Amino acid sequence: MTKKKKTKKTEGLYLSDRQPLTTAKVISLGISYILLIFWAFVIIWPLAQIVITSFNGNLTSYISLGGEYEFSLKHFQYLFNETYFWNWVVNTIGIAVATALLTLLIVSFTGYAYSRYRFKGRKASLMAIMLLQTVPTFAGITAFYTLHSIVNSAIPGFSRQMFLVLIYAGGGIASNTFILKGYIDGVSTELDDAARIDGCGSLQVYRLIIMPIARPMLAIIALWSFIGPFLDYLMPAILLNDPRSYTLATGLHTLINDQYNMHQPVFAAGGLLTAIPIVILFIALQKELVSGLSSGAVKG
Amino acid sequence: MKYKTTVLDDIGNQHPRKNLRLKELSALQEKLKWSDKTERAGIQTEIKALPRKTDHPYEKELRAAREQEKLFLRGAKERRKKFLSQIKDTDRHLFNWQLEAAESAERYRFYEKYVDLSYDFEFEYKKHLEIAKQLPEAVIERRALLNELAEAETELQSLKGQDHSAAKAEYAEFRQRRKEERAAEKAELRESRRQGIISAKALINESKMADLSAKEDINSKKRSRPLPFAKDRVKNLKHRLKIEAKKKIKLLNSDISDLRRRTPIEVNKRIPWLSWLTILIPGLGQLSLGQRAKSAFFFIGTLYIYLIAIPYALGSGNYRGDGIAGLISLARDGGRLDRSIIFMIEGVIAVIFLILALIIFIISFRDVHTNEKKQIKGVRLHNWFETRTTLQRDGFPYIASTPAALLTIFIVLLPIAVTALISFTNYDPTHQSKFVWQGLANYKQIIAGQGIAGGPFWLITGWTIIWTLLATSFAIFIGFTLALLVNQDRIRGKRFFRTTYLLPWAVPAFITIMFFSILFSPSGPLTLALNSLLGNTDPSEMLNIKYTTWGTRIVLILLQGWLGSSYIFLLCTGILQGIPGDLYEAAEIDGATGFQQTRHITIPLLLYQTAPLMIGQYTFNFNNFSIIYLFNDGGPFAPSRYGNVAGTTDILISYIYKLTMQNQYQGIGSAITVVVSLFIIFVTWIGFSRTKSFREESL
Repeated sequence: MTKKKKTKKTEGLYLSDRQPLTTAKVISLGISYILLIFWAFVIIWPLAQIVITSFNGNLTSYISLGGEYEFSLKHFQYLFNETYFWNWVVNTIGIAVATALLTLLIVSFTGYAYSRYRFKGRKASLMAIMLLQTVPTFAGITAFYTLHSIVNSAIPGFSRQMFLVLIYAGGGIASNTFILKGYIDGVSTELDDAARIDGCGSLQVYRLIIMPIARPMLAIIALWSFIGPFLDYLMPAILLNDPRSYTLATGLHTLINDQYNMHQPVFAAGGLLTAIPIVILFIALQKELVSGLSSGAVKG
Repeated sequence: MKYKTTVLDDIGNQHPRKNLRLKELSALQEKLKWSDKTERAGIQTEIKALPRKTDHPYEKELRAAREQEKLFLRGAKERRKKFLSQIKDTDRHLFNWQLEAAESAERYRFYEKYVDLSYDFEFEYKKHLEIAKQLPEAVIERRALLNELAEAETELQSLKGQDHSAAKAEYAEFRQRRKEERAAEKAELRESRRQGIISAKALINESKMADLSAKEDINSKKRSRPLPFAKDRVKNLKHRLKIEAKKKIKLLNSDISDLRRRTPIEVNKRIPWLSWLTILIPGLGQLSLGQRAKSAFFFIGTLYIYLIAIPYALGSGNYRGDGIAGLISLARDGGRLDRSIIFMIEGVIAVIFLILALIIFIISFRDVHTNEKKQIKGVRLHNWFETRTTLQRDGFPYIASTPAALLTIFIVLLPIAVTALISFTNYDPTHQSKFVWQGLANYKQIIAGQGIAGGPFWLITGWTIIWTLLATSFAIFIGFTLALLVNQDRIRGKRFFRTTYLLPWAVPAFITIMFFSILFSPSGPLTLALNSLLGNTDPSEMLNIKYTTWGTRIVLILLQGWLGSSYIFLLCTGILQGIPGDLYEAAEIDGATGFQQTRHITIPLLLYQTAPLMIGQYTFNFNNFSIIYLFNDGGPFAPSRYGNVAGTTDILISYIYKLTMQNQYQGIGSAITVVVSLFIIFVTWIGFSRTKSFREESL
């Protein structure tokens, strides 16, 4: 993209390196602006409503847009004092961090191995996991429940949340391995060879050579694994049974799914608090996140 | 099986036999092979006339040599005492090395006499010769290093006692001066910038470089003061001592490995029977071949097989199931507390355990078998040092992917297998605790569209397909159009638009879906707004989106367009920015209009690069559970056509959820899951096999 400097029109000369606007172009430009602004409005309006209603002190159980507006923090107070909101936050962050760490640990090894080593069954196994992964995670919901009780009988401290972490991490292995492998493939092997000649073992080569180079991609993988639990509703809804152990998605849903215990404005407040950090993260790191998604495109 | 006249070592060189008995035998066998009928009988009698194994003069000689060897080795203790008295060093490595070198010197002298008798003796001779040669050299080098260290340490001690104020002052002065220099340099740079000689970026870079070089100079001056210098030296020497010792041992080991590869072995064995004999106990074969450390690992595998896998498969140690048998019986005759599902899962776990056990058996058998064959050929087997080295090199990918494999097997594969199995049972509300195998009944029900659960299947499938196609295409269309519009040259405020259009993707979808669900609820703001637009003010006549099938369906598609366009927009924007500008310039010179440029340059490039991602979007929406479930719970309901389970806007995935999680029709729900999964796998496979990376075999 070339940057053009503002032309000074003092001498009446046409100095822009673009062609002068014709009438047709002016019209098409006008239509473009109208469409763009319309869509911006379509996006902003509902999001703005979340913000506005969460601060509207006149609302009680239901959201309505007309009527008096009174700024108040009472929905937030309700959220903090009357619900398990902080439990949900802690649970979600805990699950997210554990998922990210476990994924990083496992995928580091597999991505490196699949990129740098030619071994028997390499392509077949990658292909098999790839296809297995396309089966929707919840295909196994019937089994998850019982599987958890079996594991729990063998390891008493094994909670449902830990199981959730395993499911998230296990579900992401194939695509993340694929992403990391692709990235490491792009790193020249000359560096590894040099390190190997100097006497480095496989692990040392990874730790000293590959990991520092692949750090941007590892960061993206960690980031996506971290965000995943914030966005998922289904798995915690199936696995977690105690409101205290809920994640944000299932927890906030309890505020609006019960007719007799309806707190729509409180939901808006909770949704706002959840969304803000994630939105900031997305805006700040949009380029990295998109590149991570598109390199893992093969996952369905 | 016949003996070969020569033996092959590990690198493929032929060696003549040293075992005279085998030499004669193999020569005659060889002759027999090439002889014609007339000579054959003569040669066969000749073979029979050969002395038996124990009587052969060579064997007798060999036995005598072995006796001598035993006696000699028994003397090792005596010799050790003698050597101990000669060694004065306290350093552990020096001590051990000298001891070993002395013993090796004795040994190579002993084996020298028997070198021609057997390759075993030849190998021992060469090995100890190597040790006796290398270790003393290592000792000398290490001693020199140790002396240097001692010297450095005394120097450090003496330096510690001295007064370093002069050095300190000198350093402080140097630092001061260097800092002043740096300040001057920077001032000069700023001056240049002010005069416009260098750019702002150059100023920043140059100042950074000035900072860095100053820091480096100061640091090196700091480290070259006498005391830190001496400290560094001691540290460095200590490190070298550690590294060098390891290196020396490694070098010696690899030289010995080299000898192993070059020196063949002769065995009396002709057929690899050991691998068959020890097939049931992994580790035993390795132990009998003399690979002790390796056998330990296989014995762990044996313990796993006989203490975990097999007992579990037989039913002991189960949570509540009955091992493999439970898979067949499904707790049919069990008590009230026995649940079929537990029996099924534990059966599958038992199968997985057994498969792992089988893999261990196979690996162990193949290991022993190939090693035996190699040994018969004449190859000396790997010792632990060599095995470990190969394992570190070739085994790494397997070891590295073991955790991933285990997690995938138990968290991904096992549940899928269980679901597939459940689809062949009558697991439904009346058979929650006990269910039985019933073959393809569920699939028949689905295909025929019968029963409470199978009834609406085709209706739902139809809507799922419409939903997937429309919702995804709509989102792609919006995202595409927006990207093209925003990226026009003359549009201002690109930053604002891009950030705004990113929001639907950035805000967690469940929040927006739930919020839209609130807005569209019976007395929700958007319902009211819609009705006032239509002129309906009477509450009883009000149009309610959530109560009409097509109303909900259209809103769902629009909502997905709202949610999904964001990601497409970002993706396309990224690609558009990457299209080189000269393409457009060239087109412009050739007289292409803006529309033509878009039509022939932008859109083909965009489509080409995003095609696989678009397929991903379609499968995503095919499985988009949360929007259907959270917006209107699959409703509105139409029991006459859809039964009591499904709503009219349910897609397959939410239908499965309702069947299995809410209404306990697990059997038929699993059958649908299997059908859907096979379909998705098929579609993904097609999309995947067309990607570049797959076709180029670079996977």
